[in-house]
Amino acid sequence: MLYLVFYSFIRWYEGVYGWSAGLDSFAPEFETYWMNMLYIELVLEVVVSAALWGYIWKSRDRKVMSITPREELRRHFTHWTWLVMYGWAIYWGASYFTEQDGTWHQTIVRDTDFTPSHIIEFYLSYPIYIITGVSAFLYAKTRLPTYSEGLHLMYLVAVIGPFMILPNVGLNEWGHTFWFMEELFVAPLHYGFVFFGWAALAIMGVMNTEVQAIGKLLKKDLA
Amino acid sequence: MSASQSAVRSRAEAVAVSRTFDWMILFVLFTAVLGGYHIHYMLTGGDWDFWSDWKDRRLWVTVAPIVSITFPAAVQACLWWRYRLPIGATLCVLALLLGEWINRYMNFWGWTYFPVNFCFPSQLIPGAIVLDVILMLGGSMTLTAVVGGLAWGLLFYPGNWPVIAPLHVPVEYNGMMFTLADLQGYHYVRTGTPEYIRMVEKGTLRTFGKDVAPVSAFFSGFVSIIIYFLWHFFGRWFSKTDFISDDAS
Repeated sequence: MLYLVFYSFIRWYEGVYGWSAGLDSFAPEFETYWMNMLYIELVLEVVVSAALWGYIWKSRDRKVMSITPREELRRHFTHWTWLVMYGWAIYWGASYFTEQDGTWHQTIVRDTDFTPSHIIEFYLSYPIYIITGVSAFLYAKTRLPTYSEGLHLMYLVAVIGPFMILPNVGLNEWGHTFWFMEELFVAPLHYGFVFFGWAALAIMGVMNTEVQAIGKLLKKDLA
Repeated sequence: MSASQSAVRSRAEAVAVSRTFDWMILFVLFTAVLGGYHIHYMLTGGDWDFWSDWKDRRLWVTVAPIVSITFPAAVQACLWWRYRLPIGATLCVLALLLGEWINRYMNFWGWTYFPVNFCFPSQLIPGAIVLDVILMLGGSMTLTAVVGGLAWGLLFYPGNWPVIAPLHVPVEYNGMMFTLADLQGYHYVRTGTPEYIRMVEKGTLRTFGKDVAPVSAFFSGFVSIIIYFLWHFFGRWFSKTDFISDDAS
């Protein structure tokens, strides 16, 4: 619900200031409404991720193997709340704002890497799902006995893969400044996004591990 | 054992807990697949999917099924082989179409004012249902790949025909003959126009006239069989529950 309200506001902001202040990156209003937006979101993302990840790690349970089954079940619920937020954040980033970027650049010829759709897509919606995904992973690793035996391979893929979409923006922007390709979406330059997008499927490995763990908890002492 | 060691206090509570987890799991699977499948599809077949003037008889019919059978094959590999749920392909396609329709309406139309009858997504549901039904009835990955994969390619054009047919009628405009879909593209100029639409129907296959779509669909079905096999094993790999031990890391 938090993401829905926040992104509804963002979509309203795009609708109003995309057309009125987002067409010419050399215009003063572009600096006011878009570059300042970029600076603010970058600072907030660094602060929020440091605070959130730091808190989850700092408050970790050092006796995770000795918790009661009921407490473990409660923590699985909290963990799944994180995963629900992660899935929802992935939807907004990988689906909503990524395809939106296609139609914006099919309409407006870009004169900067930091276009209105990029400022939202690459530098807001992607960091938000990265922050959420890493938080979910850290929560599981620090509070659930299921993940104490090591690093869960598919959980790593499910978090690191979508994360790598953000560094891949470097290749994307380099390519867009190198070739004029407005805006063939299926251009090979974009295939890095595709490859890392596949990593979302690794959520199936996390799901399978969780189903096994929760199944064990629910069958315990029920007979 | 003592009651304090139980995760739940009654069978009824266990059922309630498991149902709640079911909904949370379904939501996460749906949204994660939506995001991954959508970014994959829009960047491998997206241009054919975005615009009616790209929805031609040759490359749209060829490309869209080949790149879209990927995630359904992978998710089937998890949901059927682990849980006997024959809904993997349909779940993927419903997720993709939901993401696409929201986008075409809210952004293609709502932000950049392309009319929805110019930028509606391709229809994939018939092929997905057939893929799931073949898996459910046959219980065989090979059968689903060969029969289902071929059907996935062959059904794509007929499945889209009711929507695309009215836009493929010929019109004469300034002495030129083209389709209504081409006329839409002529009026709704995109940033890459005219180079952008030069990928549509290039080559000599079009000289075969009425055979272009079936030939393309058959070729697409053939490649879809191979892609299904490949992505089935991707799906199995992504379903693993392995840990990297702390020692190794």
